[in-house]
Amino acid sequence: MAGRPNYPAELRRKNVRLALGVALIVVFMAITAIPFWKGLVALATGG
Amino acid sequence: MTTATVAHDDHAHHGPPSGIKRWLFSTNHKDIGTMYLVFALIMLFLGGASAMVIRAELFMPGLQLVQPDLYNNLLTNHALIMIFGAVMPAAAGLANWMIPLMIGAPDMALPRMNNLSFWILPAAALMLILSFIVPFFPGGGSQINTGWTLYPPLSLQVGMSMDFLIFALHLLGISSVLASINIIVTIFNMRAPGLRMMQLPIFVWAWLVTAFLLVLVVPVLAAGITMLLFDRHFGTSFFIAAGGGDPVLFQHIFWFFGHPEVYILILPSLGVLASILPTFSRKPLFGHHSLIGAMIAIAALGMIVWAHHQYTVGMSLAAVQYFMLMTILISIPVGLIIFNYMMTMWRGAMTFETPMLFTVAIILMFSFGGLTGVMLAVVPADMQYHDSMFVVAHFHYVLLPGAVWGLFAGVFYWLPKWTGHMYDERLAKTFFWVHVVSFNITFFPQHFLGLAGMPRRIADYNIMFTEFNMISSVGAFFFGLSHLLFLYIIIKTVRGGEKAKARAWEHAEGLEWEVDSPPAHHTWTTPPKIKTA
Ligand code: HEM
Ligand SMILES: [Cu+2]
Repeated sequence: MAGRPNYPAELRRKNVRLALGVALIVVFMAITAIPFWKGLVALATGG
Repeated sequence: MTTATVAHDDHAHHGPPSGIKRWLFSTNHKDIGTMYLVFALIMLFLGGASAMVIRAELFMPGLQLVQPDLYNNLLTNHALIMIFGAVMPAAAGLANWMIPLMIGAPDMALPRMNNLSFWILPAAALMLILSFIVPFFPGGGSQINTGWTLYPPLSLQVGMSMDFLIFALHLLGISSVLASINIIVTIFNMRAPGLRMMQLPIFVWAWLVTAFLLVLVVPVLAAGITMLLFDRHFGTSFFIAAGGGDPVLFQHIFWFFGHPEVYILILPSLGVLASILPTFSRKPLFGHHSLIGAMIAIAALGMIVWAHHQYTVGMSLAAVQYFMLMTILISIPVGLIIFNYMMTMWRGAMTFETPMLFTVAIILMFSFGGLTGVMLAVVPADMQYHDSMFVVAHFHYVLLPGAVWGLFAGVFYWLPKWTGHMYDERLAKTFFWVHVVSFNITFFPQHFLGLAGMPRRIADYNIMFTEFNMISSVGAFFFGLSHLLFLYIIIKTVRGGEKAKARAWEHAEGLEWEVDSPPAHHTWTTPPKIKTA
């Protein structure tokens, strides 16, 4: 790909690792949404 | 921090590849930044066009131009295009252009993912536009009438255009999550050696906080609209009372995303101001560390105040009190940012080039919007204001000054860096005045309309509201037209003009001013030397 900087392999690994780490937050937030909200709404509405 | 000594592909000292390939396959943060900005500008005009129709319809009581269904469809479309199509991509464009330059990195950490983040956007925009026009085809179902909040049960009854919209939002969400991950990784891993986190410009910090907010709340919106989709097509009843579900659940999920979203929209712009203020006040920024703290505090508090949008749905007293107190608490860190910005100007040798004009206007008018926000945060008061034009006035006073003007200010501030040309100051100042004055003519009267009882999201109104609506609409037409001037200034600057120096503004500080204007296709391939304080 034209002009993509060739980062050192070590840096590239480090970047991918951190990216995957952040992606974990994304997945966590998405899958906990349903049960978490059900419970919290029940609390807030007293229902 | 890793020393990113970049061994470059052998095609020594090349410019960009030519033609369409340069853009389609781009992994270059500057080119991708430019694409984001151009995309955002196109969306600004699309969203603006629907706003013009809305204000034309509201010019007089009665139905003149559009029927209520189409009105609601336009209104939904306007909000979503402006938020997801214009403001967020423009802020991402600034991030792409400026963050690597500001932190001394050769590019974003994950350049190919950067390409993907951008190129998802046109597809998402297409879906969004289709959600608007599909109902006009035979068998296309009903138009979207929910507004950008997509509340069920209404959103469960809309035809297939809602499915297009849900798909569009998923794509937009994926794009912003990928962009956020890239920004986070870039800021943590790609700084020039010796550049400590606490030394980073506030713009970079603002984007770091924004990126974390996005990563935390976009997946929740994605979950919410997926549940909508399931309720619509797969027989679930997350939000259907008859099936044991709860429509209010959706409101909680939506606003858990929606309130942080408003901070996502303003934080990058507030970060831009921190670059502009010292330059034109000729003084260092006041309270660098406390600004970082305030932004983190805003983000943290912003995640636990969502139900101030739902005071009227019948929550328990304890819940309502909690949300009211927390919401009002946010004005402390917001006030601190405003205070620091004013202290930066205090006794400075100020000049008022266009970016600075915008900055001063933002400080005045964003604060005003913040004040109406505190009014709305007070539960008994909000019982009256809720779903009225007062809310519309509030959020336009925070969103235009807070988000859009900050982006304009940033564009004028960095345009000389990007294009190598100075923009036409006289024209830009004309744009500023027409824009800001007509903005106030448009939205200031809406406060009174709301207080007098005019509801929002409605195509027709009682004749007692006529005068102020006429004023508002006339203001809106000038406001809309002013953007043509903006477009003209940009095109003119790209095509030529006075040469900009590397340090385009005499007093500007920051690594972005150490590279040429315009910068070479690749910058900081050898990282800059950081002066240690
Ligand atoms: C101190 C700051 C703020 C406070 C206390 C505040 C408070 C509120 C409250 C209570 C509402 C709900 C009103 C109602 O529906 O009855 C509201 C609506 C809204 N606010 Fe704010 N706000 C603040 C700042 C902001 C900022 C900075 C933004 C955006 C950049 C913003 C954007 C909005 C939007 C878009 C809505 C309407 C959402 C909708 O119903 O469609 N607000 N605000
Ligand atoms: Cu809110």
